[in-house]
Amino acid sequence: MSAPEDGADILYWPRWRPGGHRIGAHRGQQAGGLGTFRDTVGFLHLPDARRIDIRASLRDPFEGVAVRRFEARSPVETYALIDLSASMRFRGRADRLGLAAAFCAALARSATRIGDGFGLMAADGVFREDLYLPATRHRAAAGLAAARIGDAACAGTSAEGLMEAARRLAGRPKLVFLVSDFRWPEATITRILSALALHDVTPVLLADTAEDDGLPAFGLVELDDLEGAGRRLVFLRPSLRRRWRQREAARIETLRGLCTPFARPPFRLADRFDAEALTRHLLTT
Amino acid sequence: MGAPFGSFGVATPWLLWLLPLALLPLLRSATRRTAISAVSAAPADPLSAAIGAVLTVSGILALAGLIVALAGPYRAGEHVTRTGIGAQVSMLIDRSGSMNETFAGRQPSGEEESKAAASRRILGAFVGERAHDQFAVTAFSTAPMLVVPMTDRRDAVRAAISAIDRPGLDYTNVARGLGMALSQFGPAAPGVSRALLLVSDGAAVIDPRIQAQLRAEFAKVRPNLYWLFLRTKGSPSIHDKPAGEDTPQAAPERHLDLFFKSLGVPYRAFEAEGAEAVAGAVRQIEALERDPIPYTEIRPRRDLTGYAYAAAAFGLLVLVLAKLAEADFLRQGPHASTERAAPVARHETPRSDAA
Repeated sequence: MSAPEDGADILYWPRWRPGGHRIGAHRGQQAGGLGTFRDTVGFLHLPDARRIDIRASLRDPFEGVAVRRFEARSPVETYALIDLSASMRFRGRADRLGLAAAFCAALARSATRIGDGFGLMAADGVFREDLYLPATRHRAAAGLAAARIGDAACAGTSAEGLMEAARRLAGRPKLVFLVSDFRWPEATITRILSALALHDVTPVLLADTAEDDGLPAFGLVELDDLEGAGRRLVFLRPSLRRRWRQREAARIETLRGLCTPFARPPFRLADRFDAEALTRHLLTT
Repeated sequence: MGAPFGSFGVATPWLLWLLPLALLPLLRSATRRTAISAVSAAPADPLSAAIGAVLTVSGILALAGLIVALAGPYRAGEHVTRTGIGAQVSMLIDRSGSMNETFAGRQPSGEEESKAAASRRILGAFVGERAHDQFAVTAFSTAPMLVVPMTDRRDAVRAAISAIDRPGLDYTNVARGLGMALSQFGPAAPGVSRALLLVSDGAAVIDPRIQAQLRAEFAKVRPNLYWLFLRTKGSPSIHDKPAGEDTPQAAPERHLDLFFKSLGVPYRAFEAEGAEAVAGAVRQIEALERDPIPYTEIRPRRDLTGYAYAAAAFGLLVLVLAKLAEADFLRQGPHASTERAAPVARHETPRSDAA
């Protein structure tokens, strides 16, 4: 299923120590068999003769027997929360929904490859049950669900259904990617992010250079809002383009500010999906 | 100018039912629509709003112009009454055979011109100089002929006058000609100066019974009467008393003159023995007939389709310019296509596999 040409994996590093007894790929809370050395405990505490630490036992003035403990590797659950409001239909340099699907496919592949679960939730005005995938390590199911995103119909004008998604995520912390273009009111962003605050949230901001840096310098453009806010004729010229780009930059800066209390800084996914860039972002924030 | 709207109309009114279509630009626009995730991303810009309004108005103008032009608008013809200097002139022109002779009483040869040709030339100039006169032309020989009724159409009058040197007919029957020339004046209009110009080279006896009728007519119409007598050399003058018996039969010119004098209307007789004398007489008449006259100007029905098409063309021109100024919002830049193609190709694979 995951052919080599599928591209690089997304590497991630959960901010918390996942619990649980299942074996996974991340440093967990539990101590267990193989892995990184964690500490030594008394033999009576962990009567495992195979892991007696002779050097530590000899060093002990009370002649106790020390046993080495190792960190257990535990899996995490990753969730992609996809905003399916109508603005996701935008096609600039790239198909925005296609980008979201590419991201989901890469995440599904990367997560299932190392034994993590991949789940998918999509929402427009309401929670989209047809696209819901509870976290699973089943690689084919994860890939199928990710592929369905690319063909999903998006017609809603809000992303309120994501609140329901946040409710379904209750429980253990999860690694959550909130994929949207964040063309939401600031109050909505804050509400959804605060509902997800228990999880390790990475906002993935879908952008398109056609919408800011790639604007033509001159010309008439009739803009038609995908979410039904009407039409507007715009006469593009260098001064207006400058203002437009300043506005976009200010919007992203505002989004960054809104994310700070609840989540990692947003990752800007523009034009083409680059798993390595996302990896760098995840490992450095 | 007449009423601002009353005089306008269209040839095919039912087409105007299509006029509400002109409001379509309020709903749709000619420019290519670019779907964008949020219109609010674009900063507010008064210039863009103004251009948008101009384009909408241009669209409305183009559609409305085309529909109105198809309906065929026109401004209805109307009669405009103005006051100028001039008179109603009824010309009574002798078409008897003798008019074809020269003033010397011969058939014209070489450079010579006949009496008819001379009077045609001079009367033609007379008509051309007077801007607001109305003319009627009546010819007579044995019977009177209505050539042109009282009109201010210069061309028609000039054409009528240029036809009077066609070869003349039989005799001279002044009485019936006078009757018809008087009837040309139509109903009396206040303050209109009227002139009856009789051009002849001879006279005839007027029957006493008809004389009474003519008197009554003259009393009713009260024109200024001018008699331009083209006298052939050697023929009796209107003032000459005949040697013998002084009867109308012996000296019809003299008796006609006497009859005219007895009518009680302003009367002058001009005796012309050559083209120059005729011209001089006409100049005198022209100087005498200088009174204010109300005249009617006919403004013809005027086709306004051109204006409607021009308005539509202007609107369309603006729209075409806007179309040419349209920017390709999404697909500009040399690398756009390759950048677009690459990620799609890469990420299409797992989806198609899964399907």
